Amino acid sequence: MVTTVGVGRRDVVVSELDVAADDAAVAPRSCQRTFQLVLATVWLLDAVLQIQPFMFTKGSNGFSGMLNGLASGNPVVVHGPVTWNASLVYHQPILTNTVFAGIQFLIAFGIVWNRTTKAALGASIVWALGVWWFGEAAGGVFLGGATPFGGGPGGVLFYAILAVLLWPGGTSDRPFVAARTVGITAAKAIWVVVWGVLAVLALVGSGRSPQALQSLVTGLNTGQPGWLAHIDRVSASFLLHHGTTAAVLLAVVCVVAAAGVFLPPRATQVTLVLAIAVFAVIWVAVQNVGGILAGGATDPNSGLLVVILALTYWPLTDARSGTGVRMRPGQLVAQGG
Amino acid sequence: MGTPSWLYYLFAVLMLAVAAYGAVLLAVSVPMRQVSGRDVDVAHIFMGTSMAGMFVADWAFGANGFWELVFSILLVWFVVRSLQSIQRFGLHVPHEAIHAAMSFAMLLMYWYPMGASAGSSMSMSASSSAAKLDPGLGLLLAVAFFASAIFTLANPVKGVSHHGSHIRQLVMSGAPGAGPADATTGSGTRSVGAVEAAVTAPWLEDASHVVMCIGMGFMLILML
Repeated sequence: MVTTVGVGRRDVVVSELDVAADDAAVAPRSCQRTFQLVLATVWLLDAVLQIQPFMFTKGSNGFSGMLNGLASGNPVVVHGPVTWNASLVYHQPILTNTVFAGIQFLIAFGIVWNRTTKAALGASIVWALGVWWFGEAAGGVFLGGATPFGGGPGGVLFYAILAVLLWPGGTSDRPFVAARTVGITAAKAIWVVVWGVLAVLALVGSGRSPQALQSLVTGLNTGQPGWLAHIDRVSASFLLHHGTTAAVLLAVVCVVAAAGVFLPPRATQVTLVLAIAVFAVIWVAVQNVGGILAGGATDPNSGLLVVILALTYWPLTDARSGTGVRMRPGQLVAQGG
Repeated sequence: MGTPSWLYYLFAVLMLAVAAYGAVLLAVSVPMRQVSGRDVDVAHIFMGTSMAGMFVADWAFGANGFWELVFSILLVWFVVRSLQSIQRFGLHVPHEAIHAAMSFAMLLMYWYPMGASAGSSMSMSASSSAAKLDPGLGLLLAVAFFASAIFTLANPVKGVSHHGSHIRQLVMSGAPGAGPADATTGSGTRSVGAVEAAVTAPWLEDASHVVMCIGMGFMLILML
């Protein structure tokens, strides 16, 4: 028998809340934890996208066909693993896809529980790198077509970068969340490398070709809702006529963003807003929300992840930074009614 | 290779399990004279049984008009409860908001049946010429449900998905439906059976909400 105060079924809840109130130790969720949960949400979205019916089908309309399409034109070191993966999926579509989805579900839920967060983030890094090589053909980097407009160097790489930056640890979210565990110097170094790579990819290969940029949009246009198809027509036309200029401007934005973290907080915020705005527009107008709205995508592509990454570098004041106090079961968190 | 009907059966069973659990919670709450959380239990019963019928056509029952009426009532109820919560506790995201969104999503599923590309076992399949749910809205709702699932699981306070984080204040103030007013003094102390306590464990309530969120999110993704 469990003796409780007379609020019946709700006693369990109330008694926990009473403990929290008695402790008077109300700790808000740290920003790092919130970003971990956001990453878990994206993984959960990916897992559910992985169990769409077409992912279990054989042939060119299925997952194996999607993989084979990415392999062509790549060097052997990329082509080989991707076609091997495609062959595996072709012969055992249900088994392989179930395993792939299962891993993503495990990563999502693993991040949620404190005890498994590190293991899940570690798995997130390994899985993301594996998918990048075996499933995304290294994001098209070796083909010279990995422009950030199209998601280059591969949306899945940002899952790995976020997992590193959001690794549990540290005591304060100041000066920005990404530095909490790895430190300010390492976090800034990662930031500069990421945006430096994006700047270079915007300019090399077909990245500054108007026709190639336009085909990024037209290639995704099929099956999109009316409002997005309309946006596509505008962006495709813009890229066809001003593609090279757009590529150069994107590279400039990337360089500004890279330098932004070395500026005073207020100036950093301005550069981050610029970077977030640009990649939000790219995510919708060029990447078409990863193609999810047309019902044939496995992830939201890079735009969303770049925005999340940029937010982890947002300069925080004392009031908004985490205290570093670990939350315990029973502690009251002011969220939801 | 056909579409994986076993997957739909799996989700249908999970949805029925959530509905059955909601019925158990509702039954248990009656002798306990508790009202808090009953609305979520009722919503889960209807949503679970309805969605099971969407995943497996043979399990569907009831006219669409009936389900639309049910979810319209639930939508209005949860919107009103959300506004009351904001009025009482200030600007915040009340837990009723996600249940309102889920009721709205259920309505959308009836208003915009799935396209012809859907699985053959699913009852919501319609001709490709039928009106289609705006994929942007569908994705937005699906992501909201996935986020709710993740943040509910991560919340150190369990049971918030059914009762909200202000249940303590409501109980202590003796608010109608939250619990007996004498809870503040402890004079109403009574015993709860171990089985009863296990069945109504807050983490189980949260688990049922998480399963419902994922099931509904999956259905919305299928409708894109």
